[in-house]
This record gives sequence, C-alpha cells and structure tokens, in this order.
Amino acid sequence: MKIIFEVGRMRMENYKYKILVVDDNGELLNLIGAILKEDGYQEVLMAKSVKDGMRLFHESRPDMAILDIMLPDGDGFILFQRMREETEIPILFLSAKDEDEDRLFGLGLGADDYITKPFLPRELLLRVRAVLKRTYHIKEEKGETVIKLGERRVLPERAAVSFQGEETSLTAKELALLMKLNQNRGRIVTFDALCNAVWGDFYYGYENTLMVHIRHLREKLEDDPSHPKWILTARGIGYLLAKVKL
Amino acid sequence: MKSLLKVIRRYSITVGVIVLVLFFINVCVFMGVAYMTVSDTNRLDYGRDCMERIGGELLKEKEGIKLSEKGKEILEDTAFLWAMALDKEGCVVWEWKLPEEIPENYTLQEVASFSRWYLKDYPVRIWRSEELLLVFGCGPERVTRYDVMMSAETFEFLPVYIKAMVFANFMVILLFIVFFGFQFYRSMKPLVEGVEMLALGKRTDIKEKGSMGELAAKLNLVSKRLEQQQEQLSKRDEARTEWIAGVSHDIRTPLSLIVGYSDKLAEDGTLSIKNRKLAENMKRQSLIIRQLIADLNLASKLEYQAQPLKKRLCSPAALLRDCIADFYNGQPGVFPDTKNGMTDFFIEVNIGREADGIRVMADEGLIKRALWNLIGNSIRHNEKRCHVTVSLTAKDNGIHWRIEDTGSGIPNEVVRNMECRGDTIHIMGLRIAAQIAGAHGGNLLFIRRDGGNYDVEFFIEREEG
Repeated sequence: MKIIFEVGRMRMENYKYKILVVDDNGELLNLIGAILKEDGYQEVLMAKSVKDGMRLFHESRPDMAILDIMLPDGDGFILFQRMREETEIPILFLSAKDEDEDRLFGLGLGADDYITKPFLPRELLLRVRAVLKRTYHIKEEKGETVIKLGERRVLPERAAVSFQGEETSLTAKELALLMKLNQNRGRIVTFDALCNAVWGDFYYGYENTLMVHIRHLREKLEDDPSHPKWILTARGIGYLLAKVKL
Repeated sequence: MKSLLKVIRRYSITVGVIVLVLFFINVCVFMGVAYMTVSDTNRLDYGRDCMERIGGELLKEKEGIKLSEKGKEILEDTAFLWAMALDKEGCVVWEWKLPEEIPENYTLQEVASFSRWYLKDYPVRIWRSEELLLVFGCGPERVTRYDVMMSAETFEFLPVYIKAMVFANFMVILLFIVFFGFQFYRSMKPLVEGVEMLALGKRTDIKEKGSMGELAAKLNLVSKRLEQQQEQLSKRDEARTEWIAGVSHDIRTPLSLIVGYSDKLAEDGTLSIKNRKLAENMKRQSLIIRQLIADLNLASKLEYQAQPLKKRLCSPAALLRDCIADFYNGQPGVFPDTKNGMTDFFIEVNIGREADGIRVMADEGLIKRALWNLIGNSIRHNEKRCHVTVSLTAKDNGIHWRIEDTGSGIPNEVVRNMECRGDTIHIMGLRIAAQIAGAHGGNLLFIRRDGGNYDVEFFIEREEG
C-alpha cells in the first residue's frame, strides 16, 4: 500500500527526469547541479545565458527547467515565454529578486514555483520534487491515498475508517477536517485554517462546532478519545495530526 | 472649500451688520436733527409762543396801537429784526425797527405773497392777533424759509413710500453684498483650491490674473519650490532604497553558495561530528544573514514609503494563531535556528471573545512579520523554557497585541534607543515592528515592569472595511 509521501521511491524515480538549469553564475550552477545529482537526478543540463538555455532546451528537451531571472543576454521571463510557446514542461524560477511584484509576475506568467535566493538545498529539492510530482505523477497517485494512523486506516475515497476488519464511516465535514490535518501532518493547523477548509471564508462562529467535529473524529480514530494520541490540541491555536502515535 | 464658504458668509454678515449699524445711526441722526429743527423754530426768540405773547402785549389806545413795556422787553429778547402790525386794510398801524425799504401799505396779494415767503428778502413770520396781522422780520443770514406743498394723496402714501424706499435700499444693499461676495468668492476660490492642493502635497497651477493674481503667482511659486524639494527628497530616498535593494540582491547569490556548501559539509559523513557541527553553524548564521538582509530591505522600504500596503479584510486573532503555529511548526524563513535550541518555549494565547470576532483592514504579511519579530525577540533573548504570553484585545479604536514573557524583558537601553534613534544597539526587528504599526496608524508601546525592564505592545488602528 502506498503512503502519501514516499521519499525513497521518489528518489529512485528521479533518474528519469532531465532538468535544465539556467543561471549566470557558474559556481551556483555547479552547486545546483551537484545538489540535484545527489538526489538522484542523473541528467542536469546547465546554461549561463538565454541563448545557451534555448539551445540546450531544443537539443535535449528537458522535463523541467529552473531559470534565473537576471541573465547576461536577457531575462528569465523571456526565456520562460519562449519555452512555454513550445512545451508545457514545469518551469521554476530561482532568483535573487525577492520583490512581491517579481514573484507575482513570474507566477502570473504561469511558472510552477518561484524560489528566492539564498535557498536551502533541501527546500529546492522539495519544491522540485513537488512540481514534478504534480506534473507527472498525479494520475498514478489518484485513488491510492490512505491515511495510516497506527492500526487504523482512513480511506478518503470511501470516507471511512478501517480498524480490525470493521469500517466506520466519516461525515463529509469530518473527512474534510482530517484531510486538512493530514495535508499538514506533524504541523499545527489553526482553528481558522480548519474552519476555512470546511465552511469557507465566512467561518466565524463555527469554533464550537469545530470542537464537536474534532470530538467525533477522535471517537472514531483514537483508542481513548479523552487522551488523544493522534489528533492533538495546540491550546488556543489549533490541532495537529501526529506523524507517529504519541 | 467649506472654509471659503465660511469666509464668504462671515464677510456677508459683516457687511450686513455694518450697513444696519450705519442705517440705524443715520435714522437716529436724522430724527435728532429733525427734532432739533422743530424745537429750534419754536424757540423763544422767534417761535410761536413769543409771537403770541407779543400779540397779547399790543394795546389799543387813542393814539393808536402801542406795545406795552413788557411786550418791548419780550421783543428785545427775540431774534426778530423788526416787527409791524397791519390792520384790515393792509396799513401798518404799529411798527418796531421797521427798515426803510419795507413798505407801509400792502395789498391783499402782497400779504398773501409774503405771508408764506420773504418780504424784501427778509424771511417773515406771521401772527394773527385779533383784528391785527403781526409780521415779524428775521435776519436772512440766520433763518431760511422753505415752503413745502404736496398733494394729499402723496402725503397719505408718504409712509408707504418711505417703507418702499427703505425696502428698496435694503434690496440694493443685499444685491451688492451678494454681488461683491460672489466676486470675492470667485477670486478667492482658485487660491483656496491651490492651498488645499498644497496641503494634500499636490501641485498647484492657478491662473495669475485678476485682483488676486499676485497672490496666485506666489502660491504657484511656493508649489513649484515644494515640488522641487519633494522631488529631491524622493530622489535621495529612492536612491537609498535602490542601493539597499541592489546590495541585498547582489549578496543573495554568494549567500546561496555559502548556504549550499555549508549544507553539503554538514551532511558530509566523511567529516568529523565537530566539523559537521561547525558547517551547520555556518549554515545557520548564513540564514540569519538572509533574514537580516530581508529586514534591512523591508525597513528601508517602510522608512521611505516604498513598500505598498496590501490591505485586506482579515482577522487579527487568526493572524496571531497563524503566527504562533508558524513558530511551533518551525517553518523555514520564520526562524532559521528553530532546530538549535529554540524549540524550548511555550507561547500562551489570550484572545478575548470580542477581539476574536473582529475583522480589520490590514496588510496580513506585514502584521505577521511584526508579530514574528516581537515574539521571536522574547524567545531568542531569553533562557530555555521561556513562557511567552500574547494577549489580543480591542480597545480605544485599536487592535492591541501585548507580548509578555517570563524572561528578563526588554532592557531600558533598547527602549531609549527606540525613542532616541541612536546606532549603539541593533534593534532592527523592533524598528520594523514599529514601522509596520506606524503604517497601520498605530505604534509600539513599551510597558514598564516592576523590575524596570519592559514588555511590548503592538497596536494598529481599527480600520474596518
């Protein structure tokens, strides 16, 4: 059975993807190349200018591109538009320009992500992986998501919790809450974000109802709902779905 | 524009009051003069009473008409120059100091003529005393005679005419007030508009014509100078902001390399644990530099209003919860050194029922940034197991976030430095929070503890959308 985020398997599959990186700084290019290669990406193409970038793009037909914005013979936005005219591969901007306007402009053009320098290598890898997954894996994962909570399995497709051969059904709101918590598993999700996920923008006044739904969820997911081990309360802030049973 | 209308109204009222006062004074003077004239003509020395008394002192004797001694005394005291008495035939039967040129016989026509007018250039007064007609001559240099005659109809409508005249006068005055008021308004309007534009920091370009032309020219000059000064200031601020933005941009690529290399070293299994730890520290410090660059950039933009506020309706309570969740979740970018000893804290949230339901117009990103800085200070500058309490209240038309902790509090020097702007202490986080509060119509307040140090309260104006 496949769990939502299988880092190991992703790493195994990375070798398939050809990534083009365009940046005017050769040293940074080498560093990004090394980071990607270490994570399993066998073919990382590197270019220092718009001209070289386009040449490599035509020659090698990469699966993904990471573009700097300020390049010696033009800017990354132009390069992005030229590539987009020919293909729909995911494109990421990696730039020292951290202005909101630049970021919004880049994303507005249709870029899949925008990373500002300086970046953590791990952050770059996670974002590259997320974009690749979104673009190339989406069909494979659909319908296979299962949330594992100890011996219990939550089957979102059927809105049910399976435990010791028995299935307990979840209401639509309970499922929505659980999905939101699961998306941020191991992290606190605020009351506001949970209410927003279930009732939309005009959620004010639903806090008490939220507590009722969480209690019901605990009754279905916890061994002892009074002493929860999976859905934990962050007092005054929100709730957290533990990664491992506490 | 309201102030101009007020000026016009005050001007019109002033003119109206002046006119009314003048009118009242004139009426008083006129009535006084009229009274004095009437009383003057009735004075003892040439009035009716005097003539009547003299008439009573004329005695009929065998030799003719004579004036008694008492009558003579009265006559001597009068202002009359001469006097005579005419009988029924028009002959002078008695006279006193009669000039030579005055005839001694008069026809009926002559009597009728002088009785209301002059006799040989002497203004005369007539008094009937039994069968005699007394004629008194006055000095032409002292008395003027004017005979007025009008139709009965005219006399009957005289009060109406007077009222109509007064009314017409008032209307004319009112018309003048309105006309001159409007003229004044029209000439002042562009000037007032110009001053208002200057107050708004906009350029004025008033036509330099008419009575206010000189003033308009001066106002245009002031506007031009202000604009030039503003331009110079903007250029300087822009250059400074651009310089900081440029430096922070240029520093990012080498910093990426430092972060990348130190990360590789920190993960390198061939290195000793000690060296890997050093590499980890390098990475952590590089990320602090990243945060400092971002802070410097934001601080300079806020300082010179180069950071546009992206205000939208948001919940202050939700922002606070989100911010605290970020601390616990240790998101990259919030606090780079979460992993290294900063997880040992507890943040308590106190949100009043009323404050929880409020929605205000604010730049969510900036407010969160300010809260991060303030809560982060409490965590960073205190020992482990620090207990931070953040209270959210809505009071005095503002939203207040108060941050208190069980640590030592904000030292006095820091608060002094915030107020006096010295460069001795680096308090970028606090400054940014203060700037963000200022951009939202609020401020940063320092609340003195019993021990002498301070807690901090961040407040913004309650602007509801």
